[in-house]
Amino acid sequence: MTENIDLSEELNKKIEIIKDDILSGKTSLLELELNPLFHDLKDSLSIFNIENYSLTYKNVCELLNEKFEELKKLLSSLNIDEKFFEFMKGHPEDEEISEIFKGCWRKVFHIDGMSLNFLEYASDRFCKERILELEIKHLKKGKIDDQFLLEIPKYKFTEKMTSFFNKIKEKLPCYFEDIFDDELDQMKVYEYFVYLLHLLQLGKIKYEKNTNTLYI
Amino acid sequence: MKKIQIHYIFEVTKKMNEISILMHLLSRKKNLYQIGATKEEILERLNANHKNKSIYFQNLITGLSTYLEPLGFQIRHNPLDSHWFLNYDPEISELISANPFEGKPSLAATLLCTLTLCLKNSGVSSIHEISKLRRKKDVNEDLKALEKKGYLFIDKNSGHVQLTSLIGYQLDMHKLFVKLALKLKE
Repeated sequence: MTENIDLSEELNKKIEIIKDDILSGKTSLLELELNPLFHDLKDSLSIFNIENYSLTYKNVCELLNEKFEELKKLLSSLNIDEKFFEFMKGHPEDEEISEIFKGCWRKVFHIDGMSLNFLEYASDRFCKERILELEIKHLKKGKIDDQFLLEIPKYKFTEKMTSFFNKIKEKLPCYFEDIFDDELDQMKVYEYFVYLLHLLQLGKIKYEKNTNTLYI
Repeated sequence: MKKIQIHYIFEVTKKMNEISILMHLLSRKKNLYQIGATKEEILERLNANHKNKSIYFQNLITGLSTYLEPLGFQIRHNPLDSHWFLNYDPEISELISANPFEGKPSLAATLLCTLTLCLKNSGVSSIHEISKLRRKKDVNEDLKALEKKGYLFIDKNSGHVQLTSLIGYQLDMHKLFVKLALKLKE
């Protein structure tokens, strides 16, 4: 017994991989050797790590239990037709046969009385590819004599954003905060931040979270 | 920003749609003897064509099963035609009388004889063999009634009888084998 080794996490990972392999059909539970897992668990267990091992022990036991269930199913499915014949050889009465079925019937749930048009429609829509590209159309400025309270910006958003991009691209790569270093006006900082978000979304600028760096 | 919001809404509705579509697929009656959907049909409907689609499918079925269990439903697999379907849990099945041959033990007996012979002869039997095993001269009435209920096909020309997949939905074969083995031990 080793005092300082804690293999619980490693064993839990192994069990997860085994479960995935079983689900994907790579491994069969009946062919799986569980002894190595139990040996590793037993050999590395000590009073110092016993708390971490309870979950691991439970997980391995679950696998063992599922293996037993698989084995039970396999054994009971051997020579089925012979068992049926053996039973029929005894010339059972109709009532006796009917009794054998008792408790073995399942009630299937189906809802053919309900209108499923919407679900059919949703189902058809769901399996189609979705393209969510948004197209931005700019307003056309026209010359009229009337006075408006709303002030129309001098430049289009995209023009301002492109101008901002051209201004900062020499700086890149740089830290995120460095972009706003020269600007003291909070409104301008906010405006630049919005441009930056759009440029990130368009992929013109990229951001590395770990180093807090903007780059092209 | 708008795109992120749309993406989030899309992800939420996607989860809701997955459940709705799965419920719809598993509870639909295709014809007299087929209910639910195959794994391939489900994956196609959910537009799952990635590398780990089998694991995704298992997780989906296990996840939905956990949701449905408190409501008294189970997800089952019919090995006869590889369909996944929904059924009431055993306690509820008992309560609402799942036995399709209530008061007709003769039909149950003829069905068991057909099942036995079909297991022996790789899925096909004959009226003559059934009549012999059943020790009953005329089983035609029983067979016709079973055909009408969707349990079997009768080829009138050859006299061959074949089980449909319906029995795989309605009968817990594993439980029946265990009961039979216990009965033989007595």
